Formats: sequence, structure tokens, C-alpha cells
Amino acid sequence: MPDEPQNIDCRTAVQRLWDYLDDELDDQRMVEVRHHLANCRECFAHAEFGRRFIQALSRARERHVMPSAVRSQVMQALKAAGLSTD
Amino acid sequence: MAERREDERTSKDESFAREALPWMEDVYRFALSLTRDPADAQDIVQETYLRAYRSWHTFEPGSDCRRWLFTICRNAFLRSRQHARLEVDVIDAEGEALAAAIEHGAMITDGTDRLLASVDIGPALDRALAALDEPFRSAVQLVDVEDQSYEAAAEILGVPIGTVRSRLFRGRRQLQQRLRAHAQDAGLATAFEPGRADHA
Repeated sequence: MPDEPQNIDCRTAVQRLWDYLDDELDDQRMVEVRHHLANCRECFAHAEFGRRFIQALSRARERHVMPSAVRSQVMQALKAAGLSTD
Repeated sequence: MAERREDERTSKDESFAREALPWMEDVYRFALSLTRDPADAQDIVQETYLRAYRSWHTFEPGSDCRRWLFTICRNAFLRSRQHARLEVDVIDAEGEALAAAIEHGAMITDGTDRLLASVDIGPALDRALAALDEPFRSAVQLVDVEDQSYEAAAEILGVPIGTVRSRLFRGRRQLQQRLRAHAQDAGLATAFEPGRADHA
């Protein structure tokens, strides 16, 4: 039977929150934070906000499109440097 | 002999076109986040790809080409600005994480947190990200926009992982502060009422 995750307080959970949302904690700490969030409404709200915030940031990828002129210029420079794309 | 050299060159060009060229959009986005100027970003992308092509023999097949290109891009930017210098970070990452929660508490109080869910904050977020100071902008761009791990971002930026964390967390908190100010300016939130931001 697996061990119960260690209880952590709100301060510890919040200190680890960004690492948790970025999936950068070790397995044990991930479980501890997840367990805390499942039992703490306020920290859960912080986590949900953080998740939405990061998702909104990641959508910047879709908004920043490279002008086609950049690709043309870079390809021209690469061909001048010897790149063959035939 | 000449035929073998030609075969090697063709093989090099094919692998470069297959591995490196598909990441040009990503390199451009990163360059733009560094320079904040489309013309400068274009120059940095060109410099990055020329250096990558000339150094292609040093690229390890099977490794992360996008990470390799980001590193070259970052170095090209530093050379262009001639400010490749050691930066000392004295930011407390855990303190930044706590401060971000307090900032969120303030956003709950004044209703700004609902903004993220209710309106398109993309343009405001883009402006806030562009206005973010280095070295925080690069950390946010690499981890949040380009989906790089802390380890990969540390390698690209040439700093320890702890430094990436502290820069990232500080950057995120500054972005939240700017978003909140934007919401207040736009009349999307009530005036800040301190007192409920005491959780955490």
C-alpha cells in the first residue's frame, strides 16, 4: 500500500507552485503539492490562476508570425554561403 | 576525391535543411523577444543560421536542434550588443513564488483575475512581455512561450538552473503586475482593496 503523501502547509505549497505547474518537481514533491491543492480551496485557486496565466503566455507562439521576407533573406544568405537545397 | 567531397556536402546540406530550417519561426520569435525590433531580429536570425550552417559539423545528430539554435541565437544577440557579461542574480525564487500568490490575491480582490478568462488578453500580454526587462524576458520567453525546460533554458542562457527559476518567477510576477495595471486602466477592475491578499 503506497505511503500517504506528507502534508505540507500553504506557504510551502505556494513556494513550490510554479515548479509544480512547470512539472519541474521530483515525484514526491509533485504528489505533496497535488495532495495539498486537492484539500485547500485557496491554494487551488492560486494554482488555477497560475495555470491559466501560463497557458495565455504560451499562446504568444500563435500571435508572433515570422514575416515571409525573413525566410527569403535567410535562405538567400545561406545559399550564398554554399547551402544547396536542390 | 572531388566526388566524395561533393557527396559529403550534399549530405551536410540535406541534414541541415531537415534538422535546422524547420525551426526558423521559433528562432525568429526568440530573436524578437531579445531585440524587441523586427529588423534587428531578422539580422540575428540570419546570423544564427549562417553560424549554424558553418558549424553544422559540431551539431550532434539526435540532440535537440532547437535548443542548439537558441543558444547560437542568444550568443549572436550578445555579440551584437557587445554586452556579454556575467550577471549576478540575487533573487529569491521561493520569495518570488510567494509574492506571485500575494499578487494573485490582490487580483482576486479587484477582479483582475477574471480578465484572463473573460477577454482576449493576448495583445496586453504581448505588450507586457515586450516591456519586460532582461534578463527576465528571456527566461519567460524560453520557458513559457517556447516550452523549454528549466534545464534547457539554463543551457541556452549559460546560467545555473536556479538562476533561470528566479528570473522566470520574477518575470511572471512583473507580468502579472502589468496585466493588473492594464485591467485597472481599462476599467475592467475595481480599485485595489488591500486586506484580502494575505493568504500565503
